Amino acid sequence: MTAEQPVLQVVGTSAPRKDALEKVTGRAVYSTDIVLPGMLHAKVLRSARAHARIVSIDTAAARRAPGVHAVVAGADLPAHIVPFYGYFIKDQPIVALDKVRYVGDIVCAVAAETEAAAIAALRLVRVDYADLPVAANIERALAHDACALFDDAPMGVVPAYGDGASAQLRPRKNVCYQFNYRTGDTAAFARCDHVFEDEFRFSRMTHYHLEPFVSVADVRGDSMQVWASCQNPFPLRKELARMFKVPENRITVQVPFVGGGFGAKNNVKTEAVSVLLSMLTGRPVRFCLTMEEGFLTNTQHAAILRLKTGVMADGRLVARHSEILLDAGAYSDGSPLVAEKAGYRIPGPYRWEHIDTACLCVMTNTAPAGPFRGFGGTQSSWASESQIDMIARRLGIDPFDMRKRNLLKLGEPFVPGESGIDSDLQEGLDLVCKEIGYHERQHDTSGTLRRGMGISIGFKDGGGVNKPAQARVKVSTSGDVFLQCGTVEIGQGARTALAQITAEILAVPLDKVSCAPINTDYLPFDQGTNASSGIAVMGQAVERAARGVREQVLAFAAGQLGVDVSALRLGNGVVLHGEKAHPLAPMVMRHYGGTGFEFSADGFFKATSDHHAPLEAPCVFWEIGWGAAEVEVDTATGQVKVVKLVASGDAGRAINPIMLKGQEDGAAIMGLSQALFEHMIYDDQGHLLNADPLTYRVPLAEDLPHAFVTITQEQGHGPGPFGSEGAGEGTILPIASAVANAVHDAVGVRITCLPITPVRVLEALINQPINQESVP
Amino acid sequence: MSDTASPIGGQSECALRLTLNGTERSLTVPVERTAADLLRDDLRQTGVRIGCSRGVCGACVALVDGVPAATCAMFAFQLDGCAVQTIEGLAKSGQLHPVQQAFVDQGAFQCGYCTSGMVLLTKALLEQHPQPDRATICEWISSNVCRCTGYAQIIAAVEQAAARLAAEETA
Repeated sequence: MTAEQPVLQVVGTSAPRKDALEKVTGRAVYSTDIVLPGMLHAKVLRSARAHARIVSIDTAAARRAPGVHAVVAGADLPAHIVPFYGYFIKDQPIVALDKVRYVGDIVCAVAAETEAAAIAALRLVRVDYADLPVAANIERALAHDACALFDDAPMGVVPAYGDGASAQLRPRKNVCYQFNYRTGDTAAFARCDHVFEDEFRFSRMTHYHLEPFVSVADVRGDSMQVWASCQNPFPLRKELARMFKVPENRITVQVPFVGGGFGAKNNVKTEAVSVLLSMLTGRPVRFCLTMEEGFLTNTQHAAILRLKTGVMADGRLVARHSEILLDAGAYSDGSPLVAEKAGYRIPGPYRWEHIDTACLCVMTNTAPAGPFRGFGGTQSSWASESQIDMIARRLGIDPFDMRKRNLLKLGEPFVPGESGIDSDLQEGLDLVCKEIGYHERQHDTSGTLRRGMGISIGFKDGGGVNKPAQARVKVSTSGDVFLQCGTVEIGQGARTALAQITAEILAVPLDKVSCAPINTDYLPFDQGTNASSGIAVMGQAVERAARGVREQVLAFAAGQLGVDVSALRLGNGVVLHGEKAHPLAPMVMRHYGGTGFEFSADGFFKATSDHHAPLEAPCVFWEIGWGAAEVEVDTATGQVKVVKLVASGDAGRAINPIMLKGQEDGAAIMGLSQALFEHMIYDDQGHLLNADPLTYRVPLAEDLPHAFVTITQEQGHGPGPFGSEGAGEGTILPIASAVANAVHDAVGVRITCLPITPVRVLEALINQPINQESVP
Repeated sequence: MSDTASPIGGQSECALRLTLNGTERSLTVPVERTAADLLRDDLRQTGVRIGCSRGVCGACVALVDGVPAATCAMFAFQLDGCAVQTIEGLAKSGQLHPVQQAFVDQGAFQCGYCTSGMVLLTKALLEQHPQPDRATICEWISSNVCRCTGYAQIIAAVEQAAARLAAEETA
């Protein structure tokens, strides 16, 4: 909360995005558009086997193929580099060394004059494999006789955790990481009137960002230029420095506009291959994946979630044990971080006496899973909000009342040592219930079409873990403002919103603020564009930088004008003393003897480290997604039609309402798609059966419910500038469970496995005929 | 590239003439070149985006004789004799086309990667159906994918553009 709040001029307006003209005229430059003189093109050979030892590999013919400049298989990797990447665990090789672990694993990379020449050369590579037993899903990978994907624990670290939290690397075969959180006493279960155990299954989606994974690398001597479609350029720089043994200050990462990421474009994806091939050929190398390859590069986590929940007869929640098994795929990627979050978020926004949760990353012979919008919260919200609803119905309590009885209050810590909840959760629930007419719903028990309504409260801690952000704001003598920060423009509009915050604080119109392109040489450090951190974390760094430079300008002007600084304010690039305007240039000229000066201030933000907080720092903000769905279930076919969908997040304060609505719409429709149809289908031998854009179904405009409403709440309790919170993920969280809860409300059967397909609904109806008594 | 596979008489290259955004262009390209690559690489129309390369997502849509076409799934030689319009040809002397303006006003894009295709699709839609109802809009827009917006703001932009163009018509 700040003094300016009552008179906001720029913040809170739906100003056109700063990138609007470039994007609607086609002039916006993406990494796919980067072309350098002499640039070569990379392509890779991918394994068609899900799990196999490489017996031999013959690349001789490929090396002689026309236009080929380099061929790299495992044996060709330079000895001086560390050819593995990952987040906590460095287990993914640039090209396969001794074995392949999933269909799509990179076996060999080629750089050639054209992509076609590279592909032609790859057809000449001969690989002899010895097949190994395949573990294509969680159950198979955890079986006693399962074949280990890794014989030994790869190199990795467990970060420091605070009270109640802990983790282990490779606690057992085919589990790369396990996160645990515990608070309160298990004896709490003994006091419960009822204990319910339920299992839920969560299917995985692919990110389906339209701009492919792509990078261009230009390695010259010991310096390295990289253009990448990337969400976290600074950590990417660090990872490339580690792998290629190059000082960080010899690596420049530039990120043009990014054509969508949704989590996929964190850390190394194409960059290690393009850098390696550029290093070997002395030429710039572009490596652009097809969408099919994108499907095999990073995915959401499928999951099995087992919840044991103890309650009192009046619906009071007491204790919960959970075991969450995430399908991490063949390499760990971001899985340990996702496990932290899926495990930590399983209590949901409710009050408990006891929580004991374990979340395991299970390695399977499938594409590596990693960060995906919602980041473990989607999985935990699906299970938790489904089970809360089931328990309510078993106890004969309306699911609304059950939630109301247990919701955390505004300001109440999530768990001991944590920050307080920064939304009035009941207010949000009332809002979506009112919009959909939840309390007035009626059940027509005749006919084959049955309607029902479901509600849900998705929940996640926002802003990352221990995430720092730095920003710089400069003011020139002409009063123009330069914002420099590492937040990537990936579509979310953060750079427009951050410029709005800057403009507000410096009292200039938005068009007087520019936002520097992403270049790791010039910008202050940023940990990455993820975790809904743009406004709540980077926003606070930007706010501090802007306030810092404002103080500088005003203090300087006070000295020049011989007045007290409190008599001065900024307005449209000049200093105002009463009604009199003092441009900066003459004052600077008087003092510095010229106009060669810029005011400049840096801002830094990170949640204060605290060992009593389970994740070592209290959560920056709580990202809540309230959802309500009305469905019509055809009892003859099992078809579920979502008649009305309501989703709401609390932005604290909307910096740019129209951009924010776009985020909330997009996240909600992604959630709806996951609820009803979108999923990657693997067979038990590790083949992805819908691994192409023709057979993998994403939502289209026709899939929008007839009534689709997103409501932006501005409750004003956020830690960010002007009371803002992070946004952009909240409304994906509650949708699948709201739909499942609505199906239960309509026809009395419970779907615990996503997506909620007609086949599953019909099977449930056959096995468990409609029972209206189960609907309170 | 096998010459026998070529549909235009065993050549490895072909000469073609087309009108790009009102300007006549003649060039010679390999027969296997896609229309999208021709537009992006040879004619530097980088507003043509490559998303799926399978004619599904619509990021590469250009108007070919006024009809939206997924250029990633066409050969360049198929554009011979055609009038091609790309997003680069839509704004006239710095003035946004009403469809472009509507996309700006309604916040109908985020990452922007689908925007060229969506804008051109909308232009074609409104030429065929100047006053489309919601169902018609959804049907047309469903030929392209937007992963960011959830479509509601795109639908609003189509409606705004339809109203604006109708107002211009009667003015």
